[in-house]
Amino acid sequence: MNKFWIAVFVLPAVLLFSSVYAVSLVILITTSFTNFTAGGGGNFIGLSNYIQLLKPGSEFLQVIKNNIVWVLLQTTLHICLGVVIAFILARNKWYKDVVRTIYMLPNIIPNAALGMLFLFILNPKFGMVNSAIRFITGNKSFMQNWFMEPKTAFGALTITWLPYAGITVILVMSEMTSVSRSLYEAAIIDGASEFQTNIYIILPLMRNIIGTATILAASNMLQKLDIILLTTSGGPGVRTTNMPMSIYRTALIENNYGLANAQGIILILLGLLSVIIIRRLYRMNENNF
Amino acid sequence: MKRFLSMAMAVVIVLALVLTGCNNARSGNATDPTPKGNETGQNTSGSGPVQVTYATFRVGAHVQAPGEKIMLEEFKKQYGDKIELVIEELPSDDVYINKMKTLAASNSLPDVLDGKNGIRELAVQNGQARDLLPYLEADPEWKKYVGEGAINANMTEDGKLYSISYSRRIIGYFYNKDMFEKAGITPAKTWDEFMSNLEALKEAGFTPIAAATGENAWTANLILGAMIGSANDEGNKLMNTMRPTNYNTPEVINALEMMKKILKDYSNPDALGSIYANAANVFCQEQAAIIANGPWMVGDFTNPEKSVEGLADRLGLAMYPNDSMYSEFDPGFILCAKDSNLEEALTFLKFRTGPFSQRTFLETAGSLPLTDQIELSEEFKKEKPLVVQHIELAGQAKYTFKTLDVTAYPIVIDSFQQLYPELVFGEITAEEFAQKLTEAASSQ
Repeated sequence: MNKFWIAVFVLPAVLLFSSVYAVSLVILITTSFTNFTAGGGGNFIGLSNYIQLLKPGSEFLQVIKNNIVWVLLQTTLHICLGVVIAFILARNKWYKDVVRTIYMLPNIIPNAALGMLFLFILNPKFGMVNSAIRFITGNKSFMQNWFMEPKTAFGALTITWLPYAGITVILVMSEMTSVSRSLYEAAIIDGASEFQTNIYIILPLMRNIIGTATILAASNMLQKLDIILLTTSGGPGVRTTNMPMSIYRTALIENNYGLANAQGIILILLGLLSVIIIRRLYRMNENNF
Repeated sequence: MKRFLSMAMAVVIVLALVLTGCNNARSGNATDPTPKGNETGQNTSGSGPVQVTYATFRVGAHVQAPGEKIMLEEFKKQYGDKIELVIEELPSDDVYINKMKTLAASNSLPDVLDGKNGIRELAVQNGQARDLLPYLEADPEWKKYVGEGAINANMTEDGKLYSISYSRRIIGYFYNKDMFEKAGITPAKTWDEFMSNLEALKEAGFTPIAAATGENAWTANLILGAMIGSANDEGNKLMNTMRPTNYNTPEVINALEMMKKILKDYSNPDALGSIYANAANVFCQEQAAIIANGPWMVGDFTNPEKSVEGLADRLGLAMYPNDSMYSEFDPGFILCAKDSNLEEALTFLKFRTGPFSQRTFLETAGSLPLTDQIELSEEFKKEKPLVVQHIELAGQAKYTFKTLDVTAYPIVIDSFQQLYPELVFGEITAEEFAQKLTEAASSQ
């Protein structure tokens, strides 16, 4: 009887998942082998879409490279920054609440608003950054177009998300609160300094939560779209185009759904690969002790 | 008791889920324009007005929003007892285009919609768009106001007409007479003179051109297209060809070289990557001497929220060098209604492209009427002389051509915002730029 009721309660969720995700995934996979466009088509064309995307010299390879670089930056620098700040805030000094709130702000502002904010901050004419540089250097003709200059576009866009590790800070801090006081006391008795305690005792205990934060950071980088659309639209050229941006353009500008869906499959595979690598690196299935 | 409660709760949850689904399937959403199969156009009681779905991006701060509101109110006044418009408002051109393209993929476009930016072609491909020529031929009064020019402009090679224009677009460029006078120049007759005018304006301390390369690079591409279209007969032919697949021509390459210099040396510093509103703001605040745009912008010049006081009096209108101007008809509205509400949707299409709408959009947004059947009142001529000048100058133009937005594939238009920065910063040459446009067009 219990099994029956478990099935009844689970059924709606299974139905929802099947209709929203499973069916979509099957459609995505099958149409990626077709020439399906917004106006019709849908004939089987084998691996043509994948060959077109992955042939040497293809723009999509540059797009994949951009995405991988962003994932690497986000899973290393971004996470390190978040962990360091979490450890500093965990000292429970007077600035803890203020800094945590301020640092969290960029993570709760909608990406659309954040994009507009950076468009103004980095505007060549009246932006805060150029104004400050003009003031400091005295060079009144300084008009750097940060988002459109090919040499600075990638960096300017990266700066709109890389430093704001509020989610990592919160996750790590909450995990730190679950560490037994006895561990800290034992470390003190053994004569360990605060730095040694953090590095040799607390940090290893944070392995699983840092791994979780890393997976979140990587998947976030594989989903970014709105802020890119608002700031650089993927340009100049494809210098700031990531895979979601490329899918958006292929599907809604080029109207080539078959090719866009093939890109979607590659994106999913890259996401799965990222999760597998991160879980192995952080040995997330193993116990701390 | 516990067990009974569990059972009751489970039954309630499952029933709620099932019934919610059924309810959604039965009731139409008043704001959802998606036709629901045979339900489209049906009213639930069978005796009320017939529904016609319509999607619009002319809302909010859009220059044509006031005209759209008047038009819709008048339609309701005249036909409200028989036809109920189910309107979906979309907040920008981009959102509208993306939504309609998605609906086209599932054969669920609204009954009446603007076929801009390739939407018409998709509706033809998926079989939803109706050939409007028979309906037009059957209604001489409507045909009189649409006019032969707009009909021929939208006619396909096989003699079908899938859209009806709602306005004629004549586009030159606006210039600030005070700035021109201080720089000691007059509107250029040749492109060499145009470039030397820009240098003179710069030397006089003004930003010569207000431009923007973001979105569809509208203001920048108007200059580019005029350079191509007025260069010679070959260039003019290219700018009057629908969906060209080759941009590797001397006229395009030469025009791109000039655009590189304009965007690098003679435009507002944030032209690269910025959107149309930026360029418009720069010009309306008298921070630049020239902007390429159409008569619909005239209303902004007298709007104190957008322009400095008295700006309209200090502005002139000029043809592009070589006596050239854009002259084209909007792709216009397409009809995707099913048989069940075809008559009502057609009634709305006729109203939307007919004399009342044309006059309303002329008076509220400076959209030029399709034919001279809509006469301009003396009051209007006095109030908006810049709009009238468009019509006068178009009659004197030696070269006329269409905008890139109308002729080129959407993927080509989208390429400009990525390629202009590369060109200006020397990452690609004008030849490579033209080649990339050709590749984008050839992929379609």
